[in-house]
Amino acid sequence: MSATLDVLMAPSPATAGDIAVINLESTRRHAWSRFWHTPQRPGLAEYIIEQEGLALAFLGDIGALDRLGFLAAQLAEMEGDSLRTSLVQAQVASATHRFADAGRYLAQAQRRGAPAATVNRLSMTIDQACGTRLDLVLAARRQAAAQTRRLEDQVPLGALLADLREFEEADEVYRRALRGYQDVSPFAMAWVCFQLGVLWGELASERQWARAEQWYRQAVAYLPSYVKARVHLAEIYVADDRPRDAETLLIPVLSSADPEVCWRLADVMASQGKLADAEAQMQAARSGFERLLARHLLAFADHGAEFYSGSGNDRRRALELARINVANRPTLRAFEQAHAIACRAGDVDTASELSVAATRRWGGAAFFRFSPLAEYRLQSAENGVASCGQRAN
Amino acid sequence: MADHIDGPRSIGDPSIDLTDLFAFASPENAGRTVIAADVFPSAGASAMFSNVVNHSIVVRRVTVAGLGDTAAFKSGDEEFRFTCRFDVLEPATNGAQPIQRGTFTCPDGQVLPVVVNDEKGATTPDGAFRVFAGLRSDPFILAWLLESLKPFPNLLQHDNVLSIVVEFDTARVLDPSKGSLFGVIAETTPLPSPSSLVGHEPPRYDWIGKPEQTNMRLNNAAMAGTEDLRDLWNQQTPFAIDEDVRPLFHKRLIDSLTNWDMRDGRADWTPAALIASANVFLDDFLLFDVSKPITDTSFLEIEKSTLNGLAYRTGGGRTVDANVIDILVTWTVNRDRESLRGGATSATQPGGNTFPYLAPPSAQLQTVADSVDLLAPPDRVWALIGQFGGTWHPLIAKIKLTGAGLGQLRTIETIDGKQIIERLEAIDDTRRFYRYGGITGIPAADYTGTLTAKPKGTGTTVEWRVQYLADGQPDIIVKSIVSTLLKTGLGSLKSRFDTTK
Repeated sequence: MSATLDVLMAPSPATAGDIAVINLESTRRHAWSRFWHTPQRPGLAEYIIEQEGLALAFLGDIGALDRLGFLAAQLAEMEGDSLRTSLVQAQVASATHRFADAGRYLAQAQRRGAPAATVNRLSMTIDQACGTRLDLVLAARRQAAAQTRRLEDQVPLGALLADLREFEEADEVYRRALRGYQDVSPFAMAWVCFQLGVLWGELASERQWARAEQWYRQAVAYLPSYVKARVHLAEIYVADDRPRDAETLLIPVLSSADPEVCWRLADVMASQGKLADAEAQMQAARSGFERLLARHLLAFADHGAEFYSGSGNDRRRALELARINVANRPTLRAFEQAHAIACRAGDVDTASELSVAATRRWGGAAFFRFSPLAEYRLQSAENGVASCGQRAN
Repeated sequence: MADHIDGPRSIGDPSIDLTDLFAFASPENAGRTVIAADVFPSAGASAMFSNVVNHSIVVRRVTVAGLGDTAAFKSGDEEFRFTCRFDVLEPATNGAQPIQRGTFTCPDGQVLPVVVNDEKGATTPDGAFRVFAGLRSDPFILAWLLESLKPFPNLLQHDNVLSIVVEFDTARVLDPSKGSLFGVIAETTPLPSPSSLVGHEPPRYDWIGKPEQTNMRLNNAAMAGTEDLRDLWNQQTPFAIDEDVRPLFHKRLIDSLTNWDMRDGRADWTPAALIASANVFLDDFLLFDVSKPITDTSFLEIEKSTLNGLAYRTGGGRTVDANVIDILVTWTVNRDRESLRGGATSATQPGGNTFPYLAPPSAQLQTVADSVDLLAPPDRVWALIGQFGGTWHPLIAKIKLTGAGLGQLRTIETIDGKQIIERLEAIDDTRRFYRYGGITGIPAADYTGTLTAKPKGTGTTVEWRVQYLADGQPDIIVKSIVSTLLKTGLGSLKSRFDTTK
């Protein structure tokens, strides 16, 4: 699929992003108000999880994770032995990437009679996030996507296909999600556009930045306050030597609690020679990341690793966080990140160890052949010694 | 980089979700009809309408086409369509909320500009039409756990919705001389667009006729394992259900109505009557007769009388204060043999007698919460603060207790001579918490406080949370009173326990 064809996909109508954000925020606050009044109201805790999830994913409202933790704790206090509490605890643990906890709560929910469909859905999420039982998850995702044709079922399938390096098929699935969507939420449309941006800008073997830029721009058009989309688009602008465009993009979301905004703005400032401003932003990013890591280590280990291996400039800390991430969710992507950081840090032993572990895990899988880790193993075998050489990405 | 890949279970725009439809004669002028459609369940205080859909109310003339077990209502082809669409937001100055404007199109083609939340609404120059759009208190009473049919406090208490209220001159607009019985639906549909290459827009996003067609009847929560037909239903054309899928819906309605009939273990409906009832519910429009009285209890009377083989006596319709769930539950469970009542009989606020008839938005419950970490162990802390009549708070001069156990009252005299009365609602010494409600003394309604002592390491965290609706004083004043109360009390614990350890 070419970038030209991407352009032909005119945007579908969606409610204006500012209206949707006002509605989300006021509904979220109202839901909490109702929770304090009638915490046992059926479906309310689950509704709050969805609202907080949207605030986290789109608005960079990282306080959502604290509020979710509070929600789970309140329910545990009020009705600790209920099925509902176990399910909420599992969802909250999963949202904060505490996947081992999530699995335990889910097993508890199952013992308490949770419907099989609910258990399977959450279980698939955990497996996909941890890179386990991917063949089963893929089959189930394909089946769900074919049966319902709902965007909410297509996107996780697209994400899994991207993880498995089936980039063209992932692209097709995401486009199908856009075509089939029959509602007007800009969150939905922006989400898919963002996924397409990540697919071609970050995951694909041969990155296509022009194509990624177009999708990120579309995501921001749907939802101007979409923090992550702005950050990713700004990265492309910086790489394309357009620092002023990047700055314009980042400034409006500087008030979000996401330290990636400060980090990318620091890079933009530095590239323009504004060194004092860059340093101030970098300090803010560093303290922001550390604050998040102190509260939600597993949720932000990979983000922190990326920061410290980049202009955060602390490769030891980067590797430490990357390894924590690998231990928590041993996906190929997590291994690749840790491996690249080890290489950058000149830690050949760790790089080799990660490569061996990854090969043991996925050596027979088709998608592994295209991984930098596979090439690293091959080179090591050919040279007789481990070398990080050109493998850092 | 990690992303939360699974995303939400459903990701739609709640502001296009229709919740309710009302039709009644104006309490201000019996010669005018009011139709109101609500969207956006549990809308927040700043809720706005979607700018990319048409919100339409559609009225058609209806005739009674059969009685008793052959009961049926036939809708005519002539359509009275009222359509409202809304614009993007206009930024406001001085930190005020942004403004949203809209355009209302009357059945005769007149076009009215409207400003969202303008209580006066907009009126056509000829006075025939008046319209309001904006946030209102949700008048719905859902006081049942429907799956188990257990009464429950109103699940929608304090909720708000976005309403579109249309009032018009009945004689000029509907010409009842051609027939006074009408059916009405509301729908949200895509705006006409030249092209949309991404996908295929649905003909409509949502529509509503009689209340709870989808959530009570087509998707009966007590019928586990049945396929969810709600999406398919929402794709149907109102007044013209697709003949190909009509049998599917009909079968589901019969099964569901049979299930409802047996909820009390007793069959009040004959098989033939159930089939007739399913037919009537399948023609899903809200019936109202402009020549007869529409009251808070006349909802569904037209259908009920017709199914009973009788001429109907009222204008049916649905007023703002009609308790439609109790009426529906009673009818479907025991065919009006015995009145069934949910756990509440009134909404958060009753409807009004003047335009726009739906009550102003319910105030949002405010929460003030504070906590303090103490070095002392929880038992020691709780021994002091866990007494409902304890006078540990520095702003309290004395407390008098009346009664004992749950329900007991404490009359607090503050050091500046004010009196506050509170009632004990729950207490658990094992979990170290108690909850109380305010009676008088603080300018607030629905005032509830919770005091908890939780272990933290070898010490204690004391949490104090108060929730209320400001009443008689501005929010900020009440918040200041409550915050001071909490902060001073918790501060005193810090100095008491952390210095005496």
